[in-house]
Formats: sequence, structure tokens, C-alpha cells
Amino acid sequence: MFSSYLKIAWRNIVKNKGYAAINIAGLAVGVCCFILIALFVKHEFSYDKFHANADRIYRVWQYENYGPKEDFLNTTTPVSMVNVLRENFPEIENGSRVFRFNSLVKRNESEFNESIRAVDPSFFEIFDFDIVAGNSEKPLATANAIVLTQSAATKYFGNEDPLGKSLSLEFNDEVRVYEVSAIAADPPQASSIQFQLLVSLANEALFFGERIRTSWFNVPVESYLLLGPEMSATQLEAKFPATIKQYLGDNYEEDTFFLHLQPMTAIHHDTSLPAGIEPISNPRYAYVLATIGFLVLLLACINFVTLAVGRSFSRATEVGVRKALGAFRKQIVHQFWGEALLITLMAVTFGVLLAFLFQDTFNSLTGKELLITLDLSFWVITLILVVFIALIAGIYPSIVLSRFNPIQVLRRKKGKGASMGFLGKSLVITQFVASIVMLIGTLVIGRQIDYLVTKDLGYKQDAIVVVPTNMSGEEADEFADLYVAELKKQPLVSDASRSLYSFMENGWVDAGFTDATNTYREFAFNLIDPNFLKTHGIPIVEGRDFISGSESDAQNGVLVNETFVKEFGLENPIGVTYDKFNVKILGVVKDFNFLSLNNTIDPLLMAINPTPILTHAENLETQYTAQPRVSVKLNTEDLSSSISTLKSSWEKINPTQEFEYSFLDEALMVQYQNELRSKSIVNIASILSFFIACMGLFGLATLNVARRTAEIGIRKVMGAGVMNIVGMISLDFIKLVLIALLLAFPIAWWAMDQWLQSFAYSTGISWWIFVIAGIIVIGITLITVSFQSIRASLINPVISLRTE
Amino acid sequence: MLLQLKNIFKWVNSGGQRVFLLKDINLDIEEGEFISVMGPSGSGKSTLLNVIGMLDNFDEGEYQFLDESVHALKEKKRANLYKEYIGFVFQSYHLLDDLTVKENLEMPLLYKKVKGSERKAMVADMLDRFNIVGKKDLFPSQLSGGQQQLVGVARALISNPKLILADEPTGNLNSQQSEEIMDLFKQLNEEGVTIIQVTHSEQNAAYGSRIINLLDGRMI
Repeated sequence: MFSSYLKIAWRNIVKNKGYAAINIAGLAVGVCCFILIALFVKHEFSYDKFHANADRIYRVWQYENYGPKEDFLNTTTPVSMVNVLRENFPEIENGSRVFRFNSLVKRNESEFNESIRAVDPSFFEIFDFDIVAGNSEKPLATANAIVLTQSAATKYFGNEDPLGKSLSLEFNDEVRVYEVSAIAADPPQASSIQFQLLVSLANEALFFGERIRTSWFNVPVESYLLLGPEMSATQLEAKFPATIKQYLGDNYEEDTFFLHLQPMTAIHHDTSLPAGIEPISNPRYAYVLATIGFLVLLLACINFVTLAVGRSFSRATEVGVRKALGAFRKQIVHQFWGEALLITLMAVTFGVLLAFLFQDTFNSLTGKELLITLDLSFWVITLILVVFIALIAGIYPSIVLSRFNPIQVLRRKKGKGASMGFLGKSLVITQFVASIVMLIGTLVIGRQIDYLVTKDLGYKQDAIVVVPTNMSGEEADEFADLYVAELKKQPLVSDASRSLYSFMENGWVDAGFTDATNTYREFAFNLIDPNFLKTHGIPIVEGRDFISGSESDAQNGVLVNETFVKEFGLENPIGVTYDKFNVKILGVVKDFNFLSLNNTIDPLLMAINPTPILTHAENLETQYTAQPRVSVKLNTEDLSSSISTLKSSWEKINPTQEFEYSFLDEALMVQYQNELRSKSIVNIASILSFFIACMGLFGLATLNVARRTAEIGIRKVMGAGVMNIVGMISLDFIKLVLIALLLAFPIAWWAMDQWLQSFAYSTGISWWIFVIAGIIVIGITLITVSFQSIRASLINPVISLRTE
Repeated sequence: MLLQLKNIFKWVNSGGQRVFLLKDINLDIEEGEFISVMGPSGSGKSTLLNVIGMLDNFDEGEYQFLDESVHALKEKKRANLYKEYIGFVFQSYHLLDDLTVKENLEMPLLYKKVKGSERKAMVADMLDRFNIVGKKDLFPSQLSGGQQQLVGVARALISNPKLILADEPTGNLNSQQSEEIMDLFKQLNEEGVTIIQVTHSEQNAAYGSRIINLLDGRMI
């Protein structure tokens, strides 16, 4: 019996190729989206779960509160935290710190500036990162051991066996030689601890000065603890305050210093705490994507229903005849399920193929490197998909169609199909609401990104090349100054300047101090040279720029921005010796956006000499390595010859150091990578959902026209023209779309308002975006419906009114 | 002369063979005639009616309606011509289920772009004439078959046609209702409207002034 259902189903599909193609294409697209997005969501929620003891690993975070606006939340901790806690609490089974530092790594002639992790030797006892070669027991037992990942090993050693070979690392001015003790697999992408090179942190003095090693207020390392089995983190947290009091000693103040534990598996998505060493991700992004994936799939299922019901008109007679010949209702139901199942199987097969085909595209959209693996979970998801789609898509047609009364159906006058009624209309409205929301999303996001990209930032960003020195300390400054002087001789270069951070770094130094009135204040800080303002075209509004060669300017002169003057309440800033820093304000620059437009402009102070600020600020925070960068303003459009000039000048001064460069305007675009990604995702989702919704609309139009054939005939005999008929049918659908627009507008407004709130500068949502969305949607509707309505209006009424 | 058919042929090709629906039809109809078209099923009665009503094309021959050569007219002109001069009555009434009696009557006027106030007057007039004022807000499903056909005739008449084409107007009615409708036709004919009806019933045919018999598409 079952095979006969499949046979009939197959014949039906072959007979109605167009209908089957629309159905299968729509569903396949839905399935493809769903699989790819499921892959992403699964990845997002699988972070750090690969450690066997994941549920027992915690990261220490601390909260310090010394008054309003003077509170500090950190997921990195003092250097001694792990040791202190382990000494005091036996319930802690193990612990390891993770410290990130940059160093120049050399092997023979090749040298790279690397971000390295220093960890305690117990690192591999706590975390399950695979060792693929070498000492897998205690890879970091010796002070000169270094562990490389497979990709780092290939980078330095190619095809050679790296074990036992040496690499030299530079610490300030000292070069130390390390020996490769083990090769680790590359850490999984879904890991909150990432590394390429690992060294031991046992010799703390190598990494931290005396003051930082013992301070409880400097937080350079992440501290991970492995609790004993059955140990409660909350109970342990409750015991911390006493220990803090004991260790802080004289520095202890009541209710100022709190320690907490964050479960390892919560790290990636917990946006209430700041990121530690690795970036974290707002789970909202995953939720939104998951919603989109599910919606697209649902829209495709809805289509199946609308199209099937649309065709019920022509299937009704068949059902009538079958019933009259003795089919039970159950058998008819089975037949329709069979069809739905067959189409679903084909659609899922195509969808999976599409997903494989588009996984690279998807990866470039999400910025991940995810691969579909044909593991158990994949087959389970696919099976669930098949059942889910066949159920959803088959339920309505099979139940409604099988219910037809044979006598009514067979006696029915031609031209009276089953009306889709409220359900069908609601389904189409639902599809359109989803599509319209995504369309408005596309428009708003596109406009916001245009705005971000074209907004005047207060400095010139075109024709500027940033060259990092990849060196630190005085040596780096001297080198950069030589390079700037050399560049200024070149005709292709209009100006050049050295600064600690360039505009490529989305975050300069954050400094905090308590001023004379005992108010805690924070400002951004950068070290520049007298060429900086000129190179970047930043105007002075009051006072003067640094004078090149002026001894006093170089000692204690500073420039501040307008926000600094306003927020810190300076009345006549020029010439003022500012607070405890003992620096003299020489000039006030016009405000410019030194951070991405997600941020407002903070108070900013720029100096030539770092010492006054570094010695008197109570808190200093940096996100980027403190290595001077040279910004070069070019004179010419000829970029390739300018770059070769920059390179040859560089090599003249330091032939061994590697030359790197970036164009500022391109680098600034990278700041908006997430936004650009959202844009492409929403663009694609809205195109897909419109594509699917239009197929649904087409189905509904087919149904509508079939049902109204007689009416159209009558009207034509009564004198209606083609335009009358097309207008009449279109109007029905315009009504549905208008309802969809009304429902979609508030949803879209709310969603986009939420999104725009993450920007300090936004275009807002203008009313005309809704108008444009409305026009686009109505246009698409008219075109889709016109295929059917024009056809209907051209049918000779003699045919549609024939009664015998 | 209202209309003249000269050597009208209509055929379809079926399985490589030409099947004639109408064969060499020659027919002159004067204003004020009441003609009954008779013949067995499939003899071409409805086809002839559709050709006269300009709803269907023919393959050969000439058709003069008033002073126009219908066979030479463009689609749109032809539509205007029948909109102006011809009213249709159907066996199964073909009223629109979603419209009330009043709205059904009004529909042809909408397509002729008659002004609102004028439309209202014409509809009121027609309701009055057919004694169905009380039913003007009812839907077709709330009326008996005879009443529905009454509305059908009223709708055909509302734009003041010279010619009414009725395809078995009483086919779905009982004898009493049939008689009422036929009496109505007779009365209209006496008022000057030309009527062509297709019928199976000798009794109904007798109302007419002339009977045309068709067999296999040919007049006999």
C-alpha cells in the first residue's frame, strides 16, 4: 500500500513539475539556511565544553568599588591570586594563570612579532588541549620549555621535526632561548583560551616587575581554578572576604574588594562581565541568527501549505472520485502525507547539498571557519527536519483535502474551489510580516553603515598609511623618529608622525586619577610627536600645537580636547598647570572621534613625554601593545610607488626588522566588520524570505483566481475590462500586504531601535524608510499577483461560464 | 435590420480532424423579433448565441450588427459594442454570491462608468419595475431560483440593451417559475426589446415569433 502511495505521489510530482519545483526549491532554501545557522548556533553554545572537567573549572573575577564612577570590574586578576587561593582553600584542586604578552620570536633568519601565552605548568592538567607530539606529561616543566601548536610549528619549522629545536624570544632587551618540548593541536575555535605558543609562567620575574608581582591592584593575568569534585563555587565564594581582608592588610577598606567565580562554560556569552584575554560574544547575535534560520524554514513550510491548498481546487475532484470509489478518509490522508514526505525528502536532500555548497560563503559572512561534519548530531538534526517539515507541511493539506465530501465535490459547479479563508490569509500575512521586518532591517542597517563610513571623524583618514614599529621602549621611539625624519625628505610623503597609538587602534590608554577636589576622573591618553596634528589635519581651537625642538614642550607640555575642557570644568585652560600631573596645557584641539563610532568622544590628553602621566595616574589600561606607530600622509594617488618608498626608507634604517603597513581608511572599515556582517546576513535573509513569501503569494493568487473564475467570467460579460479584473484581484492582495505592513512596522521599529542603540552616533529611523519598504513590498506583490490576474482576465468567459 | 450573419463557420481541430461547431449559418434578425433557437445537445445552440453575443469568435463568414462589421472589429471595440447593446441571461443565473441584489444590478453600470447618482436612479427604477424593491439588500442565496432569474433578467436589462440573449433561461426553474419568466420576456418583447433564447422546451419556444432549428451546427 505504502509503495502505491509513493508511486502516486511521484506521478503527481512529475505531472506538476512547476508546482513541485517551487515547493522543493523553497523548502531546500529553508533547509540550507537552517542547517548553516544551526551549525553556527551549535558552535556558539559549545564554547569550552570540550574540557572533561568543564563543569568544575572557574575563572576568578573581581569587583572593586571606591565610590561613584570609581569602580573596576575585571576578569583578569592580580598575579598572586591563584597561589593565594590555593594555599588557603583545600577545596581548590588545581589552578593556572594565563598571561598574554607580545614578543619578537626568532628562528634563524625568520622573525615574527607574536602574541604568546604564559601559563602555569599545571595548565595541561586542568585543560584538555591535546598534545600531539613530545612531552605530553609535563610539557612546561622546565623554564625554557615552549609548546607550539601544529600551525605555529609549521610556520617556524616547515616540515622539520620541531621537537628539541630552539626558538629565541625577546624580553625587553634580553633574548632568551627556548626549546620546543611538545606540539599541541590547535585549540578548538570554541575555546575561550587561545594560543599559538605557550611558555611557563613559573619564573614570574621574567614577565612582571616587583611592584606588579605583589600588587593586589594590578590585574594582568586570568586565573583559572579547578574545584574538587562536589565542591560548591558559591560556598567557596562566601569564604573569600576573610582572605581578602587578611592579604590586603593596610589597604583593606570595608566593602570595596570582591572576588567571584565565573563558570568556565559561561565565559563566552556572559556580557555582564568584561572580556578577559579573548573576546566574548553577545549571545543576542546567536539568538537573532537562530530566529532568522527558523523563520526562513517556517516560511518555506507555510509555502508548502499555501501552495498545496491552492492546488486543492484541482485535486478536489480526484479526492471525490477516490472517495466515491471507496477510499477511506485515512487512506486519503496517507496519500497526502506520502506526497509531503516525498517532497520533503527531496527538499532536504537538496537543502543539505546547498548547505555544503554554501558553507564557505556562510563562513565569510559569520567570520568563522565552521565545517559541516556528517556526525551523529548532523543526522539527528536532518531526521528531525524531515519529520518536522513533513508534519507541518503535510498536516493542513491532508486533513482539509481528505475531509472533502465526495457528493459535494463532484456536484460542485466549476469555478468553486475550496476557499483558503482566514488561515491561508494569516499564513501569507505572517510570511510578509517577517519579510518586511527583514527588509526594513536591510534598509536601516545599510543606511547606518553608510553613515558610519562617511561621517566626518574630525581628522583626515584618506591617503594615510600606518606603519607599526613592532618594537618597544626607547629604542623603538628613536627608530620611529629616524624613520619619520627620513620620510619627510621624500617628495611622495606630505607628512609623517610618530605616536604610541594610531587611529587604527580602537582604544588608546585609559588613565584614571583622583584630582585636587577628590573627584575620580578618567581620560584617554596618547603619546604623540609635534607632527601628529598636522599629519592628521586636526585643528587647534585655542592655544598652540607642540613646537618641534622645544625642550619644555617635550618635557611637560600637553594638548587636550574640547571634551576634556568641558568635562573637567577648566575655564581658561591655556597655560594651566594641570593638577597632580604637573603638565602645562598648551592647546585645545577640536574634538575628533579617536574611537569607533560605537563610542562617544571621551576627554583626551596627548603628550610627548609619558612620565608625568604614567607616574601620577592611579589606573592605566591598554588594550593594544604599547609600540609606537608611524602614520604617513601621502602626497599622491600612486599607492604602489608610495609603499615601495616607505619600504625602502624603512630598510635603509633597519634592514632586519620586517616592514608592515596598513591603509588607515581600510583599517577603519574593519572596525565595522560586525555591522557589515549583520548587513550581509540580513540582506540575504530578506531576499530569501521575500523569494519564499512571493512563492506563497503566487500560490494564494492561483487559488484565488481559480476560485473566482466564474465570477471573473460574469464580470467580463457584464462589461469588465482587463484592467478592471487585474485591479480587483490585486486589491485583495494589497489589503493583505497593508495588514502585514501595519503589523511589521512596530516590530521592525522596535528591533532596529534596539540595534541602533549600540552606536553612539546613529542615523535614527526615518519615516521614509517605512514608505520605501511599503512601496517595494506593494510593487513585489503586484508583480507576483499579476502573473495570475492577467491570465485570469484574458480567459474567455464562454469557457469559464460553460455550465454543461 | 438589427443583425445579419452571412456564411458563418466555426470549427475546432480535434485529432487532426476539423470538427464544425457552426456550419454555414445565414441569419437575418430584425429589431423587435423574439427568436427561439432549438436543437439537441451539442447542436451548436449556445455557440451560436455566444457568437451573436460577441463573446466567441468564428472562423469564417461575416457578421453585421447594426451598421458595424463585427468580424472586422478590434477586440476592444467589439467589447464596447456588446456592452452597449446586448444583455445576457444565463441558465444558472450567474449572479455574484458576495453581492446583494442591488449591487448585482449595479455592477454592469460600474463597468460602463455611469455616474453614481444616475446609477442609483437606474437601479431603483429596475427594482421598482420588477417588484423586487423589498429584496434589494438580500444576497442571491436568500432568493428562490425564480427570483434569482428575475434579478438576472433585470441585470441584463439595466443598461437598456436592444438585444437580450438568453441561454436556457428557465432550465433550472420549475414550471410555474418558467412561465413567469417567459411572460416577462414576452412583455419586454412587446416593449420593443429583441430577444434570442436558446431552449429545449417546445412550450417556451412557442412564446417566440420565429424558431430556428440547429442540428450538428447547421440550420435546418
